[in-house]
Amino acid sequence: MDGPGGLREPVFVTGLGTLGAWGSGCDGLAAALAAGAPLAVEVDRAAGYHLPGGARRACLLPAGALAGWLSPAESRRMSPPSKLAVAASRMGLRCAGIDAADPADAAGQAGTAVVIATAFGPSTNTETLLKQILFENPEAASPSLFMESVANAPAAQIAIALKARGASLTICQREAGPLIALGTGAAEIAAGRAGRVLAGSVDEMTPLLHALLDRFGALARAEAGGEELARPFGRRRNGFLAGEGGAVAVLESAAGLAARGGHALARILAWGSAFDPTATPSGWGGGHRALARGLRRTLERAGVEPAGVDLVVSGAAGSIDGDRLEAEVLRAAWAGAPLPPVAAPKAVTGEYGGGHLAAAVLAAAGHPLGPTPGCEEPDPGLGLSPLDGSPLPPPSVVLATSLAAGGAAAWVVLGRA
Amino acid sequence: MQPDQPDRRVAVTGVGAVCGLGWGIPPLWAGLRAGQPGIGPFQRFDHSQHRTHLAAEVEAPPATLARVCPGWRRLSIADRFALFAALEAVETAGLATPFDEEAGIGVYFGSSTGGMYESELFFAEFLRDPRRARLSALIPQQVNAPGDAVARHLGVTGPVATYSSACASGALALGAALAAVRSGEVEVAIAGGSDSLCQLTYAGFNSLRSVDEVPCRPFRAERAGMSFGEGAAVLVLEPLERALARGAEPLAVFAGAGASCDAHHMTAPDPSGAGAAAALEAALADAGLAAGTIDFINVHGTGTPLNDAAEWQALRRVFGERAGGMPLVATKALIGHLLGCSGAIEAVATVLCLRHGELHPVRWDGAADPELPVALVLDDPLPLSGARAAVSTSLAFGGSNAALVFSRWMGPAA
Repeated sequence: MDGPGGLREPVFVTGLGTLGAWGSGCDGLAAALAAGAPLAVEVDRAAGYHLPGGARRACLLPAGALAGWLSPAESRRMSPPSKLAVAASRMGLRCAGIDAADPADAAGQAGTAVVIATAFGPSTNTETLLKQILFENPEAASPSLFMESVANAPAAQIAIALKARGASLTICQREAGPLIALGTGAAEIAAGRAGRVLAGSVDEMTPLLHALLDRFGALARAEAGGEELARPFGRRRNGFLAGEGGAVAVLESAAGLAARGGHALARILAWGSAFDPTATPSGWGGGHRALARGLRRTLERAGVEPAGVDLVVSGAAGSIDGDRLEAEVLRAAWAGAPLPPVAAPKAVTGEYGGGHLAAAVLAAAGHPLGPTPGCEEPDPGLGLSPLDGSPLPPPSVVLATSLAAGGAAAWVVLGRA
Repeated sequence: MQPDQPDRRVAVTGVGAVCGLGWGIPPLWAGLRAGQPGIGPFQRFDHSQHRTHLAAEVEAPPATLARVCPGWRRLSIADRFALFAALEAVETAGLATPFDEEAGIGVYFGSSTGGMYESELFFAEFLRDPRRARLSALIPQQVNAPGDAVARHLGVTGPVATYSSACASGALALGAALAAVRSGEVEVAIAGGSDSLCQLTYAGFNSLRSVDEVPCRPFRAERAGMSFGEGAAVLVLEPLERALARGAEPLAVFAGAGASCDAHHMTAPDPSGAGAAAALEAALADAGLAAGTIDFINVHGTGTPLNDAAEWQALRRVFGERAGGMPLVATKALIGHLLGCSGAIEAVATVLCLRHGELHPVRWDGAADPELPVALVLDDPLPLSGARAAVSTSLAFGGSNAALVFSRWMGPAA
């Protein structure tokens, strides 16, 4: 089928750059996913934003993860998400074997589009700027902070750093944004609007944002004497682990890939999205039938029967209602047939920051995914169990799913390159 | 840019808008025809300590809206704008709502700051005393909230996506919607944008010294910056044959869209205009139209010295000798800069100009900039009943550029 979701031309992921709690690079992420251990650390609570007894941990970028990827001038002027975006893009291009500084690549740069998702934009800069405006004086507002407070700053900085002169798109659709960005990027290639696309997701997790998510009851809380764990699809799940980081995939057409003699990590077979209008603005709805229809349509576009999906890389992150809805959507889409193995990598990477997107690409590239934290006690009401660490054959078809609080949903079907 | 399905022409069958000129298309068109800026003193927040003191603020909504829209009082101002514009557009298009679950409807929205105004109220309270702040005030703060609110209210189950590329957001959302309709991804797209006045952007642009102390004066010699506006605009898009089959009267044909990035600087445009020209050329190619077939341009025209100069260079690159004589419409001079919504409401203005066969003017005194010899429509509406096609440009922060091409609906035989 033609169209944005159907991808009438083959689109390949030829490079992947990632940064997150695992450090920088795909090797670190692949090792963390194989180990299946959460990467959360203590959040700085010194500002007093957090509730006593509230969530304390998040999957945060370790110090030094950006070293070597940005010039000192870039580090000085960019917001945290912009730094993540530029570093992940450079990493992705290197992974693809593309030298972004090579003058011979000028045509490639000119035809490069950038599609970046962010749920919250540059939160540090926004918070600082608001403090200046609201508590000092509006005239105290810093112009450099302002220009790096807009949601599209990361995409713009990628374009500036890499001379990417194609379309520059920033997508804000909460947890569904990363897969929409990947799909939109693929559609840009398939429709001939771009020769190369840098598509991905970035987010930072500030103490303020962490505290607010916790106040909404979204984050995992420690049970008596226990750990804060996300436990996707688990009986004792009570929220997600917040995360931060960046993931940028390099997308190219078959012709583009062949012309430069590169290799691919995975192929994007199709993508799709849908909306559940029964969801509240910050919660989950009960519209699994409509979402399942959207998922089935996505699989049809990929030319894949549900039984042909070897692995689901789910966006489930430990939300009580969100994981329930995800399970209902999958069961409805499979119409009673047995579900394939379901991975839930956000239990390792945290929610936000592109870890899930990167995990899906790595899974399609053949990297094994390990056990899911909390998987020893699956929720019997959900009808599925996440990966428990048992070895699986390398998948030929991977379905990445992501449902967002508020109603949006997106899916990407990935195949072997 | 190659169209996904070049034969699948896309009609604009509904439009809706709210801005400083009023709630709805009738006051918008009347205000645009009058050419009188709706920019003046405003009340949304205390701006006594800010550098400038003008905006095109939206007046209080009609009381009936709160009764029509469930949960109206819990919506942010940007959500309310979006919902009103969407309801008006859908009604204009003659579509029944809520939509059927399998109707194939998608929502494509642009916003720069979503519910930032409400977030500021929350943060002011939270940062003073975290115990007292009401979390409910923060719920609609996300940038995707206006588009989501529209989808939720209309019962949309298809794709919903929010684009936040600063001042190009609305135009980029429309471009995405066009691609989705052409490709068959959706049967109908509800596409537009919404943004409300807030202190973050007001102080932020003032910190860049890019806000004029008087109503903005695009392309004039004495121009000194932009003026803020707020509001929402929505267009209903559907395949032309579908619209005709159900008896809808197309308001215009959405012929093409293009996008590019300057890759030059976070806030300053590429002075050569090359990036903006690339978006224009991509949009014309997407529409399958030559530059010579364009009869007028709804310019981005912010009124900042650098932006207008770069836009003029882009027009020269694309339209050559014709650039100086082609009528230019400067909507921001009347309704201010609606940021993430500007591309959408200027698309609506472009459709209205094509539909009515006249271009809206801007009334003001002042000198033309000899460096920018443009043919702005001034003082009185310019009759242009023969206009066949027009372009609307959006040139944003971060160098993100978008251009949209609309053509006049001249009947099925044309």
